[in-house]
Amino acid sequence: MKKYLYVVKTQIIKSMTYEFNVYGNIVMQTIIMITSACFWKALYKGQGMVGDVDADSMLTYVVLSSLLSVLLITNVERRIETSVVKGTVATDMMKPVNIFGIYFAEDIGNILALVFQNMLPILIIGSLMVKVPLMADLRDLPLFILSAAESFLINWLMAALFGMIAFSAVNIDALIQVKKHLLRLLSGSIIPIWFFPPGVSKVLGLLPFVYIYQLPLSIYIGRGDRAQQLSQMRIQFLWLVILTGLFLYAQNRATRKVMVQGG
Amino acid sequence: MGKAYRELIHYLDVTVQVIKMAFMTIIEYPSNIAGWLISNPLQFIMGFAIIKFVVASFGQINGWNYGQLAFLYGLSVISHALSMIFFVQGWFMGYYVIEGEFDRYLTRPLGVLYQFFFTNINIFGVTDLIPGILVFIYGCVKCGVRIDPLFIIQVIIILTGATLIRGGIYILLGSTSFHTRSAVDFGQYTQEIMDKTTMYPLSMYPESMQFILTYLIPVGWISFYPVSALLGIDSACNRMLVPFITLAVGILVMLIAGVYFSMGLKKYESAGN
Repeated sequence: MKKYLYVVKTQIIKSMTYEFNVYGNIVMQTIIMITSACFWKALYKGQGMVGDVDADSMLTYVVLSSLLSVLLITNVERRIETSVVKGTVATDMMKPVNIFGIYFAEDIGNILALVFQNMLPILIIGSLMVKVPLMADLRDLPLFILSAAESFLINWLMAALFGMIAFSAVNIDALIQVKKHLLRLLSGSIIPIWFFPPGVSKVLGLLPFVYIYQLPLSIYIGRGDRAQQLSQMRIQFLWLVILTGLFLYAQNRATRKVMVQGG
Repeated sequence: MGKAYRELIHYLDVTVQVIKMAFMTIIEYPSNIAGWLISNPLQFIMGFAIIKFVVASFGQINGWNYGQLAFLYGLSVISHALSMIFFVQGWFMGYYVIEGEFDRYLTRPLGVLYQFFFTNINIFGVTDLIPGILVFIYGCVKCGVRIDPLFIIQVIIILTGATLIRGGIYILLGSTSFHTRSAVDFGQYTQEIMDKTTMYPLSMYPESMQFILTYLIPVGWISFYPVSALLGIDSACNRMLVPFITLAVGILVMLIAGVYFSMGLKKYESAGN
């Protein structure tokens, strides 16, 4: 455990090296958040409730989606790809640690740094320029935290699984893009899927993507009743179990493959 | 005159060779081709579907109906695809700066900016182009646009200008790496902002933002003003004039980007010591 904590610490220090990146990211994310807010304001002009949600909740949704997106940054797929391309994966695996544990620790370290470098500034800017993102019902807080934690894990496992394709395909740039687009458009991070036609949103409800962004966010803005939220959280948990199983299986396969190549 | 002509021919010759090489390199990883063939069209098909769903839920977007939005979206995606083919390297300029990759370009007797973009030409951008053209044609049909030679010429002028605007912005953002010495990849963010501002009518945003997007960061000229003019949505936009303004803005942005890049290159220190 200590070894991994050390990696977390190193990664935090690494993330603080480049100041310009920090400011650049904040500026870019602020612009995106404000354009999204204006987008929804313009759409809701003269309309009350659309898709069971009013304009005010939608603005909270936008600010919170920006905050959540910081927690959902992963680097594991790129890390696996570069270590396979450069061949360092063989020596990495000889070290007395679990290589995926290291990747996980690096991502955690990165996110911890980003909480201060990105999340807090965005929260402050968002509160000042868009809206203070107050929770609809504070009693939902435990549920929100639980679902956000699960969405973090689901997101990381998916990234790791995509990354492991690099063991056989080597170059996975395009696949990373596929995953990125699916996540961006089908997770409700930009446009919640309750605006989609019923048939489409029903199908998307079976896929893991909506449980990454939309579920925690809709709990936060208090959309739907408790029973509905709980039944969605059950599906979320099911996906977490499925992806963990897949991950463990793929990890075994990948490790064996590298060992064979190494002789 | 003769010398300049010979140089131009030389550059064209190199370009042809480089495109041939680009074709060779993309078939190196077969799974990658499949990936791009799925990923890029998927992105735009889903993006377009989302516009349809939003229009279905909200009626229309700031007075623009579905057909007009399709026209706007198509034009925006086509110029995006062209900028991806020629200028996507701007997104990764930071990595070239940090890893000293410009050394190689500086030792060759061709323009650095030319080499940087054209030796890395991105054939996969074509996969963006096809969905763009399809949506654009769909938009033309929905809006009942009469496709005559004049219209085609106007669209070509607009696309040239729009591609230059996008490319110029990528170069400007990429060139900041010379000064900050860090590899920032703003590609993802840039694209998201561009998507929001070129695929939806600019008029839906507050006036202060419209001002910025028209004069300071001229993305409004990529698709919003040209489409308003071509479809006659805004009578203030002259149909004959706006395509040329887009072209002029594109050339201007590109010139500024070129100057900024050259300034940065002077500060460039190679990877050696």
